[in-house]
Amino acid sequence: MTVLALDEVAVHGPQGRIVAPATLRVEPGVPLVILGETGSGKSLLAQAVMGTLPAELHATGAIRLGADALPARDTAGRRALWGRALAMLPQEPWAALDPTMPAMPQVAEVPRFVAGLPWPAARRAAAAALAAVGLAPAERRFPFQLSGGMCQRVALAATRIAGAPVLLADEPTKGLDAALRDSVAALLAEEVARGATLLVITHDIAMARALGGELAVMLEGEIVEQGPVARVLAAPEHPYTRRLLAAEPEAWAPWPHRTAGAAVVEGEGLAKRYGPQRLFTGIDLALGAGEVVALTGPSGTGKSTLGNMLLGLVPPDAGTVRRRGGLSAFALQKLYQDPLAAFAPAMTLGDALAAVIRRHRLDSVLATRLRERLRLAPALLARRADQVSGGELQRFALLRALLLDPALLFADEPTSRLDLVTQAEVMELLREVVAETGMALLLVTHDAAMAGKVARRGVALRPEMGGA
Amino acid sequence: MRRVGMRGTRVIGLALLGAVLGFGLVVPLLTGDPMRQDLSATLLPPGAPGHLLGTDHLGRSMLARLAHATRLSLGLAAATALCAAVPGLLLGLLAAWRRGWVERVLVGLADGVMALPGLLLVLIFAAFAPGDFLPLYLGLSLAFWVEYFRLTRSVAGSVFARPQAEAARLLGLGPWHLLRHHLLPELGPMLLTLLGFSAAAAVTALSALAFVGIGLRPPTPEWGSMMTELLPYYEEAPWHVLMPGLLLAASVLGLQLAAGGRGT
Amino acid sequence: MGGLIRALGARLLQAALVAMAVGIACFLMVRLLPGDMAYRVAAGRYGMDHVNTAAAEAVRAELGLDRPWWQLLSAWLGDLARFDLGVSLVSGDRVVEELSVYLGHTLLLSVVALLLSALVGPPLGVLLAMRPGSAADRTGMAVGAVLRAVPAFVIGLVLMMVFAVQLGWLPAAGVGGWREVVLPATTLAIGLAAVSSRVARDAMVAVAHSPYLAFARTKGLPEGAVIRRHALRNAAVPVTAYLGVQLVTLVEGVVIVETLFAWPGIGHALVHAVVARDVPMVQGTALAMGLIFVALNAAVDLTCLAIDPRRRPPS
Repeated sequence: MTVLALDEVAVHGPQGRIVAPATLRVEPGVPLVILGETGSGKSLLAQAVMGTLPAELHATGAIRLGADALPARDTAGRRALWGRALAMLPQEPWAALDPTMPAMPQVAEVPRFVAGLPWPAARRAAAAALAAVGLAPAERRFPFQLSGGMCQRVALAATRIAGAPVLLADEPTKGLDAALRDSVAALLAEEVARGATLLVITHDIAMARALGGELAVMLEGEIVEQGPVARVLAAPEHPYTRRLLAAEPEAWAPWPHRTAGAAVVEGEGLAKRYGPQRLFTGIDLALGAGEVVALTGPSGTGKSTLGNMLLGLVPPDAGTVRRRGGLSAFALQKLYQDPLAAFAPAMTLGDALAAVIRRHRLDSVLATRLRERLRLAPALLARRADQVSGGELQRFALLRALLLDPALLFADEPTSRLDLVTQAEVMELLREVVAETGMALLLVTHDAAMAGKVARRGVALRPEMGGA
Repeated sequence: MRRVGMRGTRVIGLALLGAVLGFGLVVPLLTGDPMRQDLSATLLPPGAPGHLLGTDHLGRSMLARLAHATRLSLGLAAATALCAAVPGLLLGLLAAWRRGWVERVLVGLADGVMALPGLLLVLIFAAFAPGDFLPLYLGLSLAFWVEYFRLTRSVAGSVFARPQAEAARLLGLGPWHLLRHHLLPELGPMLLTLLGFSAAAAVTALSALAFVGIGLRPPTPEWGSMMTELLPYYEEAPWHVLMPGLLLAASVLGLQLAAGGRGT
Repeated sequence: MGGLIRALGARLLQAALVAMAVGIACFLMVRLLPGDMAYRVAAGRYGMDHVNTAAAEAVRAELGLDRPWWQLLSAWLGDLARFDLGVSLVSGDRVVEELSVYLGHTLLLSVVALLLSALVGPPLGVLLAMRPGSAADRTGMAVGAVLRAVPAFVIGLVLMMVFAVQLGWLPAAGVGGWREVVLPATTLAIGLAAVSSRVARDAMVAVAHSPYLAFARTKGLPEGAVIRRHALRNAAVPVTAYLGVQLVTLVEGVVIVETLFAWPGIGHALVHAVVARDVPMVQGTALAMGLIFVALNAAVDLTCLAIDPRRRPPS
């Protein structure tokens, strides 16, 4: 039963202060969630507590663990506590596990070297810890043979086995889909129920809601609001917290529904398999002009493949795809999950647009009008794709597609790499553009709430039971 | 910090390469015939009047011979590297573009060439006409094109499979756009690096073969064969044996550092 | 098991490719240079002064050089498949018997060189990686870059001049006890270690920045266990894989270094056979050299398979 307290903990870099002094207190059994977007400094705060800041940064202030007060600067002193008194669940556990070692020894080495148990006893302890998270059959498997969720549980077993009362979790849901996110929250809630002192860093409001406890909202290196999760989420005080909550898809106004026009593209009896893995069979999907359809389902069910098939990028194993006659060859366009991967790396955005304008002999006034419509500053045209923000780049990708006046836009998880507020902005623009142009939109998303707000019609792909 | 260090070694490499190239291109115009013997003035030490770097066992000017050897080696290395690069690059593009059986056949061919270490291949070629220039050149080019092929195929294959290539296709931008704006920025620097390393390997192989008596032979001024010729006079003139070796090492180091990337 | 069989199968195919390539090249040599070769063989056997047309014709008939090409090729490859490598045109001895003598010498030299370089290169690289960017690291990298640029025969020549001629500590040539193997093996090992130390250093630096090493530390493991159990093993993966690339350097180096130090191995014999156009010997030595290369590569494959579970297919 140890209380973790941060006393004026700040992080400084070569260019000055990055995280303002934060004073926080985490009680056993009541988790504290620090919520913030990319670059808000929330992970740095966790690293300052743990003593794992990169060499060019340093922390000031003090960290109190129970009765002991430790200067935040003293990383060596903190290291002596790792595993025993202070533990951290790593980001992206599939990368944090040693790829050349099976699951069991990665857990067993903790009691062996931290508690000094002999190997047989350490292995028994590890077997019990893995069994407790439901991984007894996976003891001898290597990380590359485990799913993301299984890796998460192996990492949790290795983190918890030495019995540290204080647990930090830095973005524990990064890279996991919704179902796994809920199971991670459940695992962490169990630790709390057993009396752990838990500090969670996340960008994910759903995670905070699922854990309960206390919430601190972080913006540009400062904690702007703090209080019980239920209170802060129900009655936010700081404008940023309000903006954040309003940006959640759950809070969006539903998109207006319009009657679908003539079918732009029709797929019938579509099927695809990759090697022995059957993705889907017998899918019928048609999109009418102006219609918005959401395509949902867990990862690996072939959502992107189905969309690519309608665009003619992937041939179906069975079934047919028909386009409406008279459509231009470039009338079906696409937005990508990672917009950076969709642009030529060495070209400026202006040159990238100019190439499309030249190729199709378009009027450059059209490009300027669209750019203004999408609220993109002209100065951005001189930059390369990697020199603008993710939200700006995705809007450029939309602009580039709109140049060709598409009849259908296939948006393949276009906002899954964006922060919540940016996601809301991009989706709002997309809504306006769909309304103005009357194009059809096929949206792939793993976010059920977003699918519900955006589309009148949803198609959910399920894992095929027949597959290997 | 790492990038600055990389640039630093590159500058050193370019300077070294420039110095060796300048020596090989300019000095042969200024000195006399590298074949002219003068048996009254053999094994003169460096700094002797009229012979800046001394003379060899037949009284030939070391300066003239070294300069001609430099020109010969670097010229031959550049020709070999280019002759390997062009077909390697084109076939690599073809394999990545067409895929299917074209790619399988080309990969099989490359694997066949790679089954033997390159020098062994050149040795077998040299056995057709020891001491001749043509088999060396053919053998080296044959051994080296595979590297360009493998590099081009893997880089082009991965670029063509990326969303950016798909996006370019959807937007109607043709193959030329793809090559110029998507492939070239990535492949170009790698090709230059490979060009430097294969030229360095060619320089080394040419002199090593000459040294063991299979490559170019005396009296042609060549670093390896000069070392073989002068080896018996080591006691009297150790510097004469080492001078070609130093030039050789400086050329290889210059090429490798200028090429950048990680040394192999 | 699947990975093992696949790796060995690929190497067997490579061995067959090597035999085909060497066999066809040597056959072409015979076809393209028959007259010339008959004279040369006669000169080799009877001495320069005794060569005449009759002697050359006798050699030609004895070797069956006037049969049609397809008969010759199939006979040639058939012999090769039965490891009947024929008789040296120069010495008249059976090639297989000569090879068995040379092979032992070459294997001794290669193994000593590989062991020496393994003892020096990777440990040195790991040591440099402990303080990347330090003066020791930069000096080590610079020395390595220079050594990688100096061809084996120049390194060997310098070693020979210093240790054999100048200091007289070690013999410059020949074969016999351990003293003879020191200089050629060191020559080869210097080149190999210059590369493997760099690969090991870069691998260690990369591993040091990996999330799994950070996690090993935050789990609470002491630094010794972190290095021993996680860093070294993961760094060994690229180092071992790179050994396969280095084998090319080793085999090429063996040819040159054996010739320089008059070490009577396969490489030395190959160079002499090429100079003398002793085609059966060229074929035998090139084949042996190529097969050594394939066998060492197979050994590297197996080591990689043992260290890196990701190369093994899921069971």
